[in-house]
Amino acid sequence: MRRSYHLAAVSAVTFTCGQCGASLAFEGVRTQTCPYCASPNFVERPPAAGQPDPTFVVTFIGDAEVARRKLHTWLGSRTMFADSALKRAKVEDIRGVYLPAYLYSAVARTDYTVQIGEQYTETETYTTQENGKTVTRTRTVTRTEYRPLAGRHLGYITDVVVSASSGLPNAELGRVEPFDLKQLRRFSPALVSGWIHEEFSREPAECQRMSRSEAVDEVGSRLRGFMPGDSYSDLAWKTVVEWESLEPILVPVWVLALRYRGDKPPLRVVINGQTGKISGKVPLSWWKIALPIAVALIAVIAVMLYIHLRGHR
Amino acid sequence: MTTSAQPAAAPLPPCTRCESPIEEGDLRCSICALPVPAPPPADGAARPVRAQVLRCTECGAAVAFSALAQAPHCAFCGATMKVEQPVDPIETAQVRIPFEVDRGEAEAALRGWLGRRGFFAPKTLKDEAVLESLTPLCWAGWIVNADAAVAWTADSDAGARRAAWAPHSGQISLRFDAICVPATRGLDHTECHLLVPYYDLAKAVDVAAPAIPGEVPATIESFDAQRSAARATIQRAIEATAKVRVERHIPGRRFRNVHVACLLESQTTHRVALPAWVLAYRYRDTPYRAIVHGQRAEVVFGSSPKDWVKIAAVVLGVIAAIAAIALAIYLITAR
Repeated sequence: MRRSYHLAAVSAVTFTCGQCGASLAFEGVRTQTCPYCASPNFVERPPAAGQPDPTFVVTFIGDAEVARRKLHTWLGSRTMFADSALKRAKVEDIRGVYLPAYLYSAVARTDYTVQIGEQYTETETYTTQENGKTVTRTRTVTRTEYRPLAGRHLGYITDVVVSASSGLPNAELGRVEPFDLKQLRRFSPALVSGWIHEEFSREPAECQRMSRSEAVDEVGSRLRGFMPGDSYSDLAWKTVVEWESLEPILVPVWVLALRYRGDKPPLRVVINGQTGKISGKVPLSWWKIALPIAVALIAVIAVMLYIHLRGHR
Repeated sequence: MTTSAQPAAAPLPPCTRCESPIEEGDLRCSICALPVPAPPPADGAARPVRAQVLRCTECGAAVAFSALAQAPHCAFCGATMKVEQPVDPIETAQVRIPFEVDRGEAEAALRGWLGRRGFFAPKTLKDEAVLESLTPLCWAGWIVNADAAVAWTADSDAGARRAAWAPHSGQISLRFDAICVPATRGLDHTECHLLVPYYDLAKAVDVAAPAIPGEVPATIESFDAQRSAARATIQRAIEATAKVRVERHIPGRRFRNVHVACLLESQTTHRVALPAWVLAYRYRDTPYRAIVHGQRAEVVFGSSPKDWVKIAAVVLGVIAAIAAIALAIYLITAR
């Protein structure tokens, strides 16, 4: 499915440039560089429902040139089955975007049930053929005894970040996470001046649902490391979250389009503007995949044919 | 936007979610990550809706945030504007415990300890050991107090059937009082844990307080850890302590695979400098090290030489005794 990066579909608001007075349209963004005097403008407005003021911001580390170098290294390290045209791809429009997101934290109380596997060894007798005779032997076998266990798990869920941009799906943001939240700063227009500050375009309620889902996944991950025994199965849990906090924040991402073939849509790549982690669905070259499979098949057929012919001599 | 030094900041209210103290510069609670509310705007007036331009404080030109300078940077005059930076300072001691053991007492404690090294120590150890250095050290440590709800799981032999182990789980409330988490490079963790139970924390004074008459001047060790790293170390130490404390709640005589999940509340952390004498001595060209507690001279431990001739003689004697017993049994049974 083709997907293009677009900013929030909200109606444009027009303001005059704070430097030269030219008319500027702000569509889904809160920052705009004036085309006449190149001044970075920032819309000052009171927070409103669906358009909160960010509480915190994670700032960009490194400029567009750093992002390009990361991209170049990433393209060079792709799988051997990647389309070779990628190495000659042209970067179309690399943009540093302060992406709207929500930072979620909560207290999670979880009740779980599970079957815990405890191993034990047994000596068993068996019969086998030795020198044409049936003999009885013994051997030690390891078996697992499953015992039911129910209990509670407690903990704070912190650092859950979900995308509040309708342009960048949460799963895509998840692929370039984590952000180093120790470097959070309290939001100030000075920190985003000159960059694209996308407006919030997802409802807080929807982001809270996504956050809870990620929190439950996180609890599951912790539970897997919490289980005693040698193994476990049928792990089921129910998490109740309390003391939830959902803070609007901005996170830095580089978004760019790579045009690698004239007949193909450009490849969208997202780069974490703080850590440089990159995500993009690299197109594969089918002939590169088909060729080794064909060679392997021919080799197998040749070996089978050889064995078959030898058997008929 | 610009930060200014505030010499006497009022203490911040504790976190409303976990009741842990909030330190100056914290944007979120270090325990539960609840955001710290922003201070109200200075003017409080309703902001007009408009597009504004951030201007250079030097030349008045429009400026943008520079990712390289991590601050707004003016492309015209090159000025970089000050903005609030993330706070992650190097930890420093808040309080110190003064030395109560002076140099002479420390040396006497070492001599006494060398004389009590037991049968396997060389006979001449006490007299021939040469003291090479005697250094007073105020080593760095965090003293942590917290309440916690702790959920645990473990395997134990209670209720075991075919397998030797059966799974168990539970939940308890624990109070952690004055847990000491070492932050020192001068002493290892084992040495710290041997010293900690004997400190009288009630005698702690402010680190900047003037020296008590007769107090041994000592170097206060740096914490060598940033605040964020310190908090991670403290969390791990609390979980390790909780793991030990839940052991008594696990049914049965034997257990394994103990796991804990802690929900901490009201956690307070004090950065303390704790006194100890570090002694280096030499016995027959080999260096050894011993530690004397800075408040109680009877607490001494360290490494000391062994008399290998005595050890070999004892081993040979034991082997000879076993051989003699075996021979006697053989002769008795052979008759």
